[in-house]
Amino acid sequence: MRFSTVRKTTLSAVAGVVLASTVLTACGGSPENSDGGSATAGTVNWWSWTPDNDLAAREIAAFNEQYPDIEVIYKKVPSDNYAAVLKPALASDDGPDVFTVNASGSYSAEAFAAYSYDLTPDVEELLGTDWESKVYQGGVDAFTVDDRLVAAQWAKVGAGIMWINKDVFDQYGLTPPTTMDEWVQVCETFRSAGLGCFREGMAGSSGFIVDTVHSIADSVETGAFQAAVTGEAEWTAPSIVEALGLLRELSENGVLDEGSVGIQQYPDVNNAFLTGQVPMVQMGTWYQQYATVNSLTAALDGAGVPADTPKITIVPIPFPDVAGSGNPSTMFADPDAGQAVNVKSKNRNAAVTFALWLGHTQEGQQVVANNMDSFPTLNGVTPAFDEIEFVDPDVQLPELQKVSEQLGQASDARSLGISAELNQAIIDAAQAMVNSDTSPEDAAAAIQKVADAR
Amino acid sequence: MTTTVPETLATTRTGSPGRRRGVRRPAGLPWILPALLFSAGLLYYCIGYTGYISTLDWDGAAPIQQQVGAENFVRMVQDPVFWGALRNTAIFFVVTFSVQVALGIVFASLLHSRLWFKTFYKVLIFIPVVLATATAAPVFRQIYAPDGALNELLGAVGLAGLQQTWLANGAFALAIVITVQIWHSTGVVFVLYYAAIGQIEPEVVEAARIDGAGDLRILVSIVWPGVRGTTIAIAILSAIGSLKTFDVPFLITSGGPSYATEFLGTMIYRVSVAFSDVGYGAALSVVLLLLALVAAIIINVGGRRGER
Repeated sequence: MRFSTVRKTTLSAVAGVVLASTVLTACGGSPENSDGGSATAGTVNWWSWTPDNDLAAREIAAFNEQYPDIEVIYKKVPSDNYAAVLKPALASDDGPDVFTVNASGSYSAEAFAAYSYDLTPDVEELLGTDWESKVYQGGVDAFTVDDRLVAAQWAKVGAGIMWINKDVFDQYGLTPPTTMDEWVQVCETFRSAGLGCFREGMAGSSGFIVDTVHSIADSVETGAFQAAVTGEAEWTAPSIVEALGLLRELSENGVLDEGSVGIQQYPDVNNAFLTGQVPMVQMGTWYQQYATVNSLTAALDGAGVPADTPKITIVPIPFPDVAGSGNPSTMFADPDAGQAVNVKSKNRNAAVTFALWLGHTQEGQQVVANNMDSFPTLNGVTPAFDEIEFVDPDVQLPELQKVSEQLGQASDARSLGISAELNQAIIDAAQAMVNSDTSPEDAAAAIQKVADAR
Repeated sequence: MTTTVPETLATTRTGSPGRRRGVRRPAGLPWILPALLFSAGLLYYCIGYTGYISTLDWDGAAPIQQQVGAENFVRMVQDPVFWGALRNTAIFFVVTFSVQVALGIVFASLLHSRLWFKTFYKVLIFIPVVLATATAAPVFRQIYAPDGALNELLGAVGLAGLQQTWLANGAFALAIVITVQIWHSTGVVFVLYYAAIGQIEPEVVEAARIDGAGDLRILVSIVWPGVRGTTIAIAILSAIGSLKTFDVPFLITSGGPSYATEFLGTMIYRVSVAFSDVGYGAALSVVLLLLALVAAIIINVGGRRGER
């Protein structure tokens, strides 16, 4: 059979148009799946930056005891890349069924609300119409966008504390520092022994240094940082300027390890601390998981160190009163994360079952609590300490319980209200304090400029 | 011996008598049309769409897109990080291009001479090209860490006074990014020069030797002019590659410290993804595209003028 030239041209053109149309159509989304499938069977793909794989495996195993026909596949994505990975996935028809969102920042509930299924009817069915009174109110506020519950909270997290390697402190006969002078002396001892002292990773866009600035500012004046975040005070306020100056002092007087602006909190600082190279870091309550034998073993394994590496005894301590003003160390808390259900999920009902089980059932929250990664948000659930194996329970348990009590009294938010741009501006200012001659006043003014622009 | 011309070619050359004076339609049009539509539909549509997004204040997901005209471009001009990224790109291009060309032409010339283990050396030079940056980056981070391999080495050889917090120093961090890029892509430059030098007539080189030219004179007066076209192509590729640089600084320094290793690529990522400021990110992308075009045109035109 032979085609004429005209027919060949026409056919080629039609084929090209069809091909191009197909490709371009593939760029668009598809309408919401109206059925949603079974609520008790199916495969649920869950993407998140938290928790660690071993903790997620425990949570999924506990879930499968109740729902054996729902297979949950967990994919942990590094937090720095999470938003970049999640956006195109959700724009396609093959994104995760459940994806974790944060209370603020670049992968906040608000940023991804358009892709999230409204969980309000389901949570009302599970806990009743008064469900809000049974969970952490901060989480309800953070994950409700335009009157839609776009994610089911599952944990809260706090920061403002330091973590020390108690074994090394005991080895050199040192007690945790409570003032700037004590901190300097402690670090002199460690450095003369060839160790690091207080290490902080400021590289990248992760905001761990923001916690440090927050702690120092609260040492100068309790509530100063939160006042600047909410706009009640300027970032150029004397207390913030003094805090930035104190950060420079920490760098210059040998407390802060050199090279902080060139290293990252994860994995650099984390690995250095857990393997005993550095005796002090500032991490939040999520770090208490490494007081347990199971999580510390998994972390050391992940860091690639030999299996017989000694397990360190980590203990939380209050942030030292570096300003010498007598203000107590404070903790600041946020909803840690919430599980959102992809509105396009083909297994939406199974995904809803998993998301709500994790954060809104006694069984799910007990596993979260026992993982010691974050604090449960369902009222009345506390860790079953007698079921958890700690490295040194006599030393660690009393301190962990103090942190738990302090977290309950936290009034400041950790990152809620801090936009990604403001977060970066604070990081930039902190870097400038340890890496340039920029004055604290100019650094504070640069933060204020960003705050004003938004 | 007789040569037969394939029927299709013969028809193309002569054309049919009835169509000779009509509108000439390229015979290959039906064949390239699907690819043409594909390219136009995807590539140029995407460029056009990026241009449109650059006029918006939009987070990339929200249904509301606010039209802001040229505001994103005005912001860009007033943004010191943007100018810093351009400065870093210029330094990066000049240094990587110069060093890679020098190394590439020297390696290629050496491997065209009589050497043992030529294949081994070729593989050695080319291996970094096939290593993924994501694989190599953690190694470089470890080497340059405060308690990393380089500082340990310096301490071991009695040069502890030279130990530095390499990645925390802006100048060193930029130098590290540049050296990693040179290490990573010199193999490609070497292969291009190796092929180009192979095209130089051996008789020309031989005649120069008879006239008394040494190795250096041959390299400067015969090889270098002989690979001019390749050098121009490498310059264009390096310029565009420098503008698009992303993986090495992102994975090793995250653009820091204090934006000392920020490039347009890392800036676009940070602005578009971390800040969800997709409109501003698109404006930066448009400028990157224009700069790449301008660089390619300038280098090409400059190269042709030099040929005259």
